Amino acid sequence: MGNKKPKSKASSNGHRPRNGTYRTATNPVGAAALGRSVERSSTGSRNHYLRTYEIPDYRLEQPEFSVRQLTEKDKQGQEHVRYEVTGDLEAPVPPIRDSKFLSKQQAVEIYRYMLLNRKMEIALENLYKQGKVVGGVYFGLGQEACSCASAYALDKDDWFAPMIRNQGALLVRGFAARDTMMQYMAKADSPTKGRDGTSHFGDIEKRNMVSPISMLGDLIPVLSGVALGARLQGHNIAVMTWIGDGGQSTGVTYEGINFAAVQNLGLVLIVESNLWAYSTPSNMQYRCQDLAERAIGYGIPGVIVDGTDACQVYDAARDAVERAHAGEGPTLIEAKMMRMKGHAIHDAAGYVPKEMFNFWKKRDPLSRFENYLVKAKKWLTPRENEALIAEVDEVIEAEREIAVNSPMPTPESAEGGVFCENGCHEIKPKYDVPKVKKGSVAYKETEAAVHLK
Amino acid sequence: MADVFLSLKPWNFETLKPDLMQLTYLEAIRQGIWEEMERDPTVFCLGEDIGIYGGAFKVTDGFIDRFGPERVIDTPIAESAIVGAAFGASLTGMRPVAEFQFMDFIGCAFNQISNMVAKTHYLWGAPAPLVLRGPSGGYVHGGPFHSQNPEMWFVHNPGLKVICPATPSDAKGLIKAAIRDNNPCVFFEHKYLYRRIKEEVPSEDYVVPIGKARIAREGRDLSIITYAAMVHTALEAAEILSKEGIDLEILDLRTVSPLDREAIAQTVKKTNKVIILHEHSRTGGLAGEISAIINEEAFDDLDGPIVRIAGLDSAIPFSPPQEHHYLPKLEDVVREARGLKAY
Repeated sequence: MGNKKPKSKASSNGHRPRNGTYRTATNPVGAAALGRSVERSSTGSRNHYLRTYEIPDYRLEQPEFSVRQLTEKDKQGQEHVRYEVTGDLEAPVPPIRDSKFLSKQQAVEIYRYMLLNRKMEIALENLYKQGKVVGGVYFGLGQEACSCASAYALDKDDWFAPMIRNQGALLVRGFAARDTMMQYMAKADSPTKGRDGTSHFGDIEKRNMVSPISMLGDLIPVLSGVALGARLQGHNIAVMTWIGDGGQSTGVTYEGINFAAVQNLGLVLIVESNLWAYSTPSNMQYRCQDLAERAIGYGIPGVIVDGTDACQVYDAARDAVERAHAGEGPTLIEAKMMRMKGHAIHDAAGYVPKEMFNFWKKRDPLSRFENYLVKAKKWLTPRENEALIAEVDEVIEAEREIAVNSPMPTPESAEGGVFCENGCHEIKPKYDVPKVKKGSVAYKETEAAVHLK
Repeated sequence: MADVFLSLKPWNFETLKPDLMQLTYLEAIRQGIWEEMERDPTVFCLGEDIGIYGGAFKVTDGFIDRFGPERVIDTPIAESAIVGAAFGASLTGMRPVAEFQFMDFIGCAFNQISNMVAKTHYLWGAPAPLVLRGPSGGYVHGGPFHSQNPEMWFVHNPGLKVICPATPSDAKGLIKAAIRDNNPCVFFEHKYLYRRIKEEVPSEDYVVPIGKARIAREGRDLSIITYAAMVHTALEAAEILSKEGIDLEILDLRTVSPLDREAIAQTVKKTNKVIILHEHSRTGGLAGEISAIINEEAFDDLDGPIVRIAGLDSAIPFSPPQEHHYLPKLEDVVREARGLKAY
């Protein structure tokens, strides 16, 4: 990677305008990631062209380790299979990369959302231990920077759809912690009124959120469709969703990204490479080096960021959102981090080699960002930081109180609402009435031959 | 059923407005979608090869010239993406009409339809006004992947409306109703009927209500409850049997979900004997559900066993003699009706 572009070849094989849009050289993500270079191979007996592609990697470290299945015998001679990790797991923690966009006030606000995210999940864990949660609890521990800083890059008119670990994104987009808490406790006042749990709720009126479903990847074409609907109404919007290194294995992920790519829709896909899909390590999900490389195949820009660095996540997300607003199409952002708990609360994650936890624990996104704001940038005094943490604690406690006191739904409330009927909703364009082609083409009966007669 | 390939001279829809128009089943659907796109700027079409090519069966022929590539979108061969994108657009207040080249391929998008689209209103209160439409049905030797009747996959999904018209008038009125409906509608067009039947269709703007059956033929001796192409088979059987003094009533369901329970009960109460006729496989088929409805609504009115005529419990085979054997036939209907009348 990183070959220089010969001008003559790059023009024919480089970026192509689609749907009347163009990509500008001033956009580093678009220009860099789409830059292909082509040169005649100097080796080998046959003439061929060697194409290379560039994937910008904004990380300040490129940790390399691999996980493999190891079979070993215990004292009784019984064989056991476990995961073994190899690589440099003692590397020092890199600094946070300064953002090219974030002001002091914005950075502190993201930090506050990350705190809320973390503390809300701690509260959920306690509610679970108190027997108040129905079912399990899913955590985004270690992924708070990715959830919060990416959603923070969206504008008001943009849409999003979180995955199960993006509970922080809900807070950023204006939902209260009680909404998620009540979902977990299956309460009558939860956004779905008890009908679904976790982050599975949505709001098409105010907060522009599509409800997730448990099947992975299905949100990607849906969000693309939201962008399509908005574009028909004359608006280029950004639509953000997330997918894990496990979830991206699904076929619908391919269909959805490809649809957004050919239609040049403003999809911002955050691929959360958190190394474990339930108990399966990422190298059993895909063969390529980094998932950002998938972008090459889709013909869209792909970038890599450190998912535990809020500034890197924000910058890449904001670049992508601005591309979307300019009608320049989708972006794939791979955020590298690790899921720091099991799949859900029941899962102790005993299959994860301890060294991996230790490595990533040192890269805890919240303490890294706190350190950055308090010590490196001095944007928060220790006293201000303490006050902020205390304020977040108070908010979460108040939210917890409201959520716990919400009643359970009545049995009968299971009924109704299967269909939209009796004027329960008025369907109207969210942005503007679509402009339609005025035409003089008259209706004519078709006479053409058909596939099967 | 006359097996005629119709070819009418093109006529100008905007200037010629006769009170009644002779339209094929396909043309009625095409005209219905066209009119809705003229009427409502939020209606748009997406699907495979629907643009310049006009669709495999030409239902959207000429649409791209009139409405432009923005509203007539050729998609990748990716059924989950088509349904997902249609659903997403519907959340912004659009009314997408997504075409499946053959309804057999709707299985590729099943998760989107069943877990995403159908559950949306119930779970989080978002309406999804979209139409998923395409050709289904046998008698055309399309084989196991081009002749299926997969409507039951969706009948068992609360939240979807499943529509299977039998006539050009109904096809036009129901596609317009589906486009205007605030709920996801799966619209099965019987491909055998596409260009084989033709009838007078009202020229004014009209819709046929979803969920309402119609009496296709009044009779007193026994009822045949059916829909789509089988309505015509039943009508043919009724002609044959009327010469023997057997008077069949034929109930055309038009919508298979939600079912018109009242109309089902009414015809049973009137004739006291009933045959349920459908193309798809017998086990787990619609006849089982309708039998249960009759059991609940009109058990005391029955003077004979409920008779099912349905496709075999296998995939639908390709070779014409095998396909013929698999599918319900005119002689099956005549035989079963004679037997039930004599019961």
